[in-house]
Amino acid sequence: MSADAPGRAVSADAPGRAVSAHAPRRRGWRPSWLDLLLLALVAAAAGVVAWRIEHHLNYRFRWDSVPGFLVRQDAATGRWVPNLLLAGLLTTLRLTFWASLLAGAVGLVVGLMSASGRLLPRLLARTYVESIRNVPNLVFLFVFYYFVSAQLMPALGIEAWARAASPATREAIAWLAGPPALLGNFAAGVLCLAMLEAAYVAEIVRAGIQAVPRGQWEAAATVGLSRTATLRDVVLPQAVGRVLPPLAGQFISLVKDSSLVSIISIQELTFIANEVTVSTGRVFEVWLTAAALYFLPCLALSLAFRRWERRARRGASHPS
Amino acid sequence: MSDAVRGGARRGRLPDLLAYAALMALLGALLWRGATGLGYDWQWHRVLRYLGAWHEGGFVPGTLLRGTVVTLQLVGAAFVLTVAFGLAAALLARGPSSVGRWLARGYVEVVRNTPLLIQVYLVYFALGPLLGLDRFWAAVLALALFEGAFAAEVFRAGLDGVERGQWEAAAMLSLSPRDTYAHVVLPQAVQLVLPPLVNLAVALVKHSAIVSVIAVAELTTAGRNAVSETFLAFEIWFAVAGIYLVLITAMSAGARALEARMRRGVR
Repeated sequence: MSADAPGRAVSADAPGRAVSAHAPRRRGWRPSWLDLLLLALVAAAAGVVAWRIEHHLNYRFRWDSVPGFLVRQDAATGRWVPNLLLAGLLTTLRLTFWASLLAGAVGLVVGLMSASGRLLPRLLARTYVESIRNVPNLVFLFVFYYFVSAQLMPALGIEAWARAASPATREAIAWLAGPPALLGNFAAGVLCLAMLEAAYVAEIVRAGIQAVPRGQWEAAATVGLSRTATLRDVVLPQAVGRVLPPLAGQFISLVKDSSLVSIISIQELTFIANEVTVSTGRVFEVWLTAAALYFLPCLALSLAFRRWERRARRGASHPS
Repeated sequence: MSDAVRGGARRGRLPDLLAYAALMALLGALLWRGATGLGYDWQWHRVLRYLGAWHEGGFVPGTLLRGTVVTLQLVGAAFVLTVAFGLAAALLARGPSSVGRWLARGYVEVVRNTPLLIQVYLVYFALGPLLGLDRFWAAVLALALFEGAFAAEVFRAGLDGVERGQWEAAAMLSLSPRDTYAHVVLPQAVQLVLPPLVNLAVALVKHSAIVSVIAVAELTTAGRNAVSETFLAFEIWFAVAGIYLVLITAMSAGARALEARMRRGVR
């Protein structure tokens, strides 16, 4: 990393390092004056926060109530089943899964359109992408949700279908999309999120296609390939490598953005966390737990993607 | 991009433009008819009142315009803090202190891997009463903490973008680390950092809509209130989206112009 050079240059000159050299900690970590200062600051901040909570807010932490929000014992079967927050997380993950499939499909089409050589598809794709990217996601959700809930959902009749479905179908729905009674609500959330995210996917696809050097198009034209064949056999296979890393990042964004649909009453993690805080008043515990429930899967995903990308890049730079 | 290379049919642009206009008109008509068919009564004239009105020779801004002003105040205040957080995190991340590096890394990872909405709720409901913040400042703090993690990346890229030779030359002249930063690195990094920072300000305008969940009186909140007063959901939301669109497009155009100018200045 080029970042090492200046970093090392600075640390070599840092005052106090030589002084603390004879006080070695485990694995050779020697705290410098800056380390100690920062630790002191963190400790002071934590102290102030604890003191304010204790004496100013009169708030008593009840962390023992949190497990009850996560799991509960089913009275009939005696098994442990996910309760409020964990069930919300499951809805969030289901929402993300279906929305990412739909956003991927729509985004691919729109991305191809905006990389097209013809003006009409390009104009249509740009209109879609720019009008979503230049308006707050929340405002888009409000506009689109009114449309979906007032016009699209009644027309599709999903809710009636789920109500009339056979027990086996209902079990399948419960597994794939959560409680069948909330299927209409769930589908509206998936649709809203997917239309939102598709605009960002389309930009990634377009950038990936346009990053393929012109020479590839020219060479394909020289050997007499049609435009479709060029796209399918020459350009897209090369674009895939460029598109996958940002797509992975966009998937993590989708997990996080899915919290937005709580505002249009889709009952995922954020919505349920809000309800639990209102009904129990356990503000700190519930919001921190909800944050952790988003943080852990997102962090795991982004670390995995980063490692995978690094390995892919190393593989690409050492052709065998 | 290059039509000639892409080998698309080389026709005139006019038919495509006409077809585009026709399709857009069709879409508009469908939306109009669909809503009217469901008993939706379009009343665009009632939206004007929410934008502003002429009263006794003076212009009185309506709630939507006043909300826009609050949005801009929010963004302005949050941007200053964003730069502060971002710079602090970037300097700690490349600094000599391992505690500082862990703090910076932890900050960036936590912010990037949790939803902004949850951060807003946490800052408003948990940190707000702790520090005695009102809605507005809780919103400013939440937005700045969020955007600061991205600003850190911008500053890191800016500092890394200054060539190694510059550091080495400064070391040759035996400049202290502080002088190297102040007189050699930062002046050059500013040129690399300024355009992406303006883009962050644009992103702040977009993200600021989310603080309507804690009822800060900004544009989206004004829109929500107007909708619940009048039930003119489509008209009001289209008006709100239009205002954001104008704000954001204007700011991004500014960012692009700045970027072009900087690039000319560097070379």
